[in-house]
Amino acid sequence: MAEKLLEIKNLKTSFRIRDEYHAAVDDVTLTVNKNEVLAIVGESGCGKSALAFSIMGLHTRAKIEGNILFKGEDIANVAPSKLNKLRGKNMGMIFQDPLTALNPLMKIGDQIGEAILLHNNTLSKSQRREKVVNLLQKVGIPRPEHVFEQYPHELSGGMRQRVVIATAIANEPELLIADEPTTALDVTIQSQILDLIKDLKDDMDSGIVLITHDLGVVAEMADRVAVMYAGQIVEVGDVLTLFEEPLHPYTRSLFNSIPNAHGTQDKLHVIQGIVPALQNLPRSGCRFAPRIPWIDEAAHEEQPILHEVKPGHFVRCTCYKHFKFPEETKEEQHHGVS
Amino acid sequence: MEKALEIKPKAIKSPSGFSIIWRELVRDKLALISLILLILIIAFVYGVSLVLDQEEIVKVDLFSIHEAPSEEFILGTDHGGRDVFGQLIIGTKNSLSIAIIVTVLTGIVGIVFGLVAGYFGGHVDNVLMRILDFFNILPFTMIVIAFVAVVPKYSVMTFSLIMTAFLWMGIARLIRSKALQEKELDYIQAAKTLGTSNIKIIFKHLLPNCMSLIIVTMTINLAANIGLESGLSFLGFGFPESTPSLGTLLSYARNPQTLEFRWWIWVPASLLILILMLAINNVGSALRRATDARQRRG
Repeated sequence: MAEKLLEIKNLKTSFRIRDEYHAAVDDVTLTVNKNEVLAIVGESGCGKSALAFSIMGLHTRAKIEGNILFKGEDIANVAPSKLNKLRGKNMGMIFQDPLTALNPLMKIGDQIGEAILLHNNTLSKSQRREKVVNLLQKVGIPRPEHVFEQYPHELSGGMRQRVVIATAIANEPELLIADEPTTALDVTIQSQILDLIKDLKDDMDSGIVLITHDLGVVAEMADRVAVMYAGQIVEVGDVLTLFEEPLHPYTRSLFNSIPNAHGTQDKLHVIQGIVPALQNLPRSGCRFAPRIPWIDEAAHEEQPILHEVKPGHFVRCTCYKHFKFPEETKEEQHHGVS
Repeated sequence: MEKALEIKPKAIKSPSGFSIIWRELVRDKLALISLILLILIIAFVYGVSLVLDQEEIVKVDLFSIHEAPSEEFILGTDHGGRDVFGQLIIGTKNSLSIAIIVTVLTGIVGIVFGLVAGYFGGHVDNVLMRILDFFNILPFTMIVIAFVAVVPKYSVMTFSLIMTAFLWMGIARLIRSKALQEKELDYIQAAKTLGTSNIKIIFKHLLPNCMSLIIVTMTINLAANIGLESGLSFLGFGFPESTPSLGTLLSYARNPQTLEFRWWIWVPASLLILILMLAINNVGSALRRATDARQRRG
């Protein structure tokens, strides 16, 4: 059994909208082990980033219920000053947009140096500089000595993302949260950055939470996958099982929506509708039901729970047993997808 | 080969803040002239006032009342037989000192207040903004009048403090709105994930990124504060005659005789106020353009 690094138990993160709290992350239970990449997949607005921000304690005005155990210690709802001892040292975060994730008025070297200084002030200035240059080298930045003195606007997007990564791993954190690390980058840079994160994981033996909506990235990187919809986990499993045998209608719809180069389909599959706004989320029944209206209501559970269909493979709601795409069955064609 | 590679980046190094400002000033001749004029006036006023003795100048001399400009008195004398030129120098120094002190003090209070309110948001912001609203509704002029009546003897410093107490709200508002905008950016969140404390984030990350706004606002405020001090003194709620300022010189023009026949008492002071305010505003707008790449001329 792998060593548990992070355990999230019944986490519920709620935001206040017009004096009422609405849960953006609803009853999420997950574990991340050492030296493992857990991918969290879902559409925009599914609560992926809200989950990541909850782990890092970045929500300032949200109500957080449940437990987040980092190496057995509960870090949900602890004071920021206490959390600051962990953040940056034991856990790091990579942000989505490298264009805004760096302070535009601080030299690259100083930004990374700050991360080191905050948790280790025994180093002298020159030692720190040396460490920063090594870090820059590690993330594959050419001429690190020169980049050390540069400002963020002088670097390209890919370079900046490397700097963001270098900052996040400055103190070799055990847990790394990557919130869509490649969304803002073009495809060639994307694979380089992913390779880099993978190498770092092997180097430091750390656990990574990878948040993405790109299933290609998931296939490339992840050991286990959690699919999120409307704040809930709808399916969890290891990456092979999930790719070979996706069960939940949402997971299958996601896979079905991937463009296929030599496919026979003329039209790309589109999941009907959108993720409802936070205050309009259905709080009972299967949350995905409104987007698959051709499935009989009786197929859904009233209060769907996660069922373990195989060891380590969980699916929410029973509707997966009855789910078929409209194209698959003739008699359902008149319900139609446009 | 190696050498060529090393030199190249220097050539394309992006311009620093000061070189941008300098380029903007060179392109905008009016602002450049204004800046030079401003430096000359300030240097002259503070230089000459070192030699002048305020006690000597404000001493009433009944034998030389209302003398026209002559060799002895370059700008003549006022109704107390006091040298107008000397009063002009000391007065400009006092007015400028007040304006600078008030600008700096309101700047410090406003920046800290605005940054804290904007960065923390929520309840902290609510409470702080209600305090600000309270200060905003206080009638500034009335309170200054009451202050003048109550406090028997006041100096440049006390007058600056009382002005500061009622003038910090504008900049606080402005900085708060900028901080609200800026704190949403990822680099603030990223700093948090590194374990940086709030105080450090506010002063090391947030403040430098608000600096362009602060510099421009404080420059424009400086001009406004000169005008404000002169206005109050003109109305008689500023300094007594024993402490000359640009406003007290102007207030002598309330006497119709002086206004009509003794131009040397009030024209130089009015001109100086006009020039100072115009010059500072010109420099201020050049600075504002320099902070916004779309508006730059240089």
